[in-house]
Amino acid sequence: MTVPIEYYVLLSMALFCIGLFGILTRRNALMFLMSVELMLNAANINLIAFAFYHGNLTGQVFALFTMALAAAEVAVGLGIILVLYRNFRDVDVTVPTTMRW
Amino acid sequence: MEGLFDYAPAIALFPLVAFVVALAFGNSLPKKGAIPGILATGGSLLLSIAMLAAVASGEVYHETLYEWAIGDAVSDTGVDGVEFTFGILIDPLSALMLVIVSLIAFLVHVFSLGYMNAEGETGLPRYYAGLGLFTFSMLAFVYADNLLMAFMFFELVGLCSFLLIGFWFRTRSAPSAAKKAFLVTRFGDYFFLIGVVAIAATFGTLQFAGDDSFVAAAETAIADGTTLFGFAPETWVTITGLLVLGGVVGKSAQFPLHTWLPDAMEGPTTVSALIHAATMVAAGVYLVARMFGYYALSPTALAIIAFVGGFTALFAATMGVVKDDIKQVLAYSTISQYGYMMLGLGVGGYVAGVFHLMNHAFFKALLFLGAGSVIVLMHHEQDMWKMGGLKEKAPVTYWTFLAGALALAGIIPFSGFWSKDEILYDALIVGLEEPIILAAYAMGLVAVFFTGFYTFRMVFLTFHGEPRSEAAEDPHPVGWSIKAPLIVLGVLALVAGVANLAPVAKLAQLDITFLESWLDGEFGAIEGLTYGAYGELLAYETSYIGTESTTVLIAAGVSLLLAFSGAGVAWTLYNVPEPVEHKERLGSIGKTVEDNYYQDEYQVWLAEGLTLPLSRAADRFDQTVVDGVVNGVSTASLFGSDRMKRLQTGIVTNYAALLVTGFIALLLVLGILGGWF
Repeated sequence: MTVPIEYYVLLSMALFCIGLFGILTRRNALMFLMSVELMLNAANINLIAFAFYHGNLTGQVFALFTMALAAAEVAVGLGIILVLYRNFRDVDVTVPTTMRW
Repeated sequence: MEGLFDYAPAIALFPLVAFVVALAFGNSLPKKGAIPGILATGGSLLLSIAMLAAVASGEVYHETLYEWAIGDAVSDTGVDGVEFTFGILIDPLSALMLVIVSLIAFLVHVFSLGYMNAEGETGLPRYYAGLGLFTFSMLAFVYADNLLMAFMFFELVGLCSFLLIGFWFRTRSAPSAAKKAFLVTRFGDYFFLIGVVAIAATFGTLQFAGDDSFVAAAETAIADGTTLFGFAPETWVTITGLLVLGGVVGKSAQFPLHTWLPDAMEGPTTVSALIHAATMVAAGVYLVARMFGYYALSPTALAIIAFVGGFTALFAATMGVVKDDIKQVLAYSTISQYGYMMLGLGVGGYVAGVFHLMNHAFFKALLFLGAGSVIVLMHHEQDMWKMGGLKEKAPVTYWTFLAGALALAGIIPFSGFWSKDEILYDALIVGLEEPIILAAYAMGLVAVFFTGFYTFRMVFLTFHGEPRSEAAEDPHPVGWSIKAPLIVLGVLALVAGVANLAPVAKLAQLDITFLESWLDGEFGAIEGLTYGAYGELLAYETSYIGTESTTVLIAAGVSLLLAFSGAGVAWTLYNVPEPVEHKERLGSIGKTVEDNYYQDEYQVWLAEGLTLPLSRAADRFDQTVVDGVVNGVSTASLFGSDRMKRLQTGIVTNYAALLVTGFIALLLVLGILGGWF
């Protein structure tokens, strides 16, 4: 007995909203990265759920791509956070505002 | 003879080469560039005479040499594409003019040896280069076969006059006179340019001669009644003709654009001779003669030409009466004489106008070179009141100058009498039918009296009586380079009238009007460019007082009587050992005339009192309104973006919030529009 598609969508939606909430409320850059990961994985759940639902593999392949992308993104993001820390002795995203205009 | 015409371009190119040589190597040449100039103009003269002989033997030459642009516009008369070309047209008129121009230019070059070189002037290569370029432009203008080429060389002539009038640029007055000549003639040329464009746009051709000329096209348009530019064809021909006439009025120093010419006396006297006799000023009248067929189609334009000419003849002659500077008197006589030519052409006297153009070229070059000789004699003094008694001391100058003066005053049998009489006769027979022409004739007739008066006032003051200054008692000797051109021109001033003894021909029923047959194409001519062809286009009625013979006698008698009485008045007033000024007797009129009828003043007022405030206002409009709008736009966008950029806080959370809000808003909008709710 398979789980109906609505639950997957609800799960994915909840995950996305948690990630979004994290981005909008947290000031720590590391928390930011984690929130972004949550949102990406929310999208992954959707992809896989609908791939399963339609019975083709394209969505699952895309989920693999997304994971690779997420890994790369985290690598870059961590690099940025390291530099951020080196320059500002902090990883608070509200501190470095000097580069806007 | 075909081969001969292949050398036609060389007529103008010789002086161009002389210009380059004088400019590049003038300082290292003996005589500072005079020799190449003399050789070049001599060569042009010989070639021109050969062309004249060729035309006399029945040949004409009309060839397009170079085509430099083709427009694809369709003209009003349906001609597809306008061609802009350089070409050469050698017919009786241009062959005659080529000889006159190159002869005068040659003599002026020779005279310059005595006038400029012997007097130790500096900057001679520049002078000879200017003369060369001047001669080149005028010769090329003369044999131009289309209006655009004519316009280009017309402009070049104006530029050269600027360069030469301002030759002594270290003085205060010469550069200002040069600028004035340039600007005033340019004002006229502006209308000329519009006229050229209008003719090209209307008829799709700028050729002077042949079946595809604009003259022929205009004739066809009038015959067919084609509407041109929303006007009746006659009206449009008049408008374009008058636009081109603007250039003529400027260059030929007709009222009201004559003011530059007296100031142009600031240039060397040789340059004045060249400008007045053969090049610059002659260019205007020559252009009218060149496209006479076009003007012949428009009685209005012709009447305006005649009236302006007659008025200018009288107007300038009165101003010549009160001048003390010998060159100034000659300057006003030039304006007046060109007025006569315009009068002659305006009444349809094509032959008379061209005849006077030729005679005037000879006697005015003679008078100016004579004046140059006097100036050398007088150690560069030009005030006639400081001269006197030069008759015995400089016989060659005196007798040749007298010949020129008699021709200018129109005393029988000198050349000027024959041509001036013919102009006045032509004006009279037309004037008997047309009141406005009669008014122009009357003005021309009165001007004869003044011409006689100022001419002989000049002669008597300069050469007769007792010397009135040390320079006049001990004149500087003049050499043969000065005397030889004077003698040549003196003989021509005496005998040139033989070319067209119209009154004698009419009275004695002889066929001796050579110039008339020449211009009527009895030897050779291009179809449509003959006196006869023009005569058929003219709409003038003529009538006689009694018979033709009595009219001829009356016209000649009256003008001769007036010339003699003018000369006679000058004789009684000034041919005394110690002449005195009589100007005070004229009272306030004399003052007005001496100030040139305040022509300069009102033109300066037009420039400073009217145009300058107008341009100031335009400038202010530009600076405030136009620039204000442009600056306003940039200020507004600067201010706006200064506010807008505050959105960019540098805090990532804000961006994310904006992104999400925007997305939700988009969803809501799409939802409402798509009817999801």
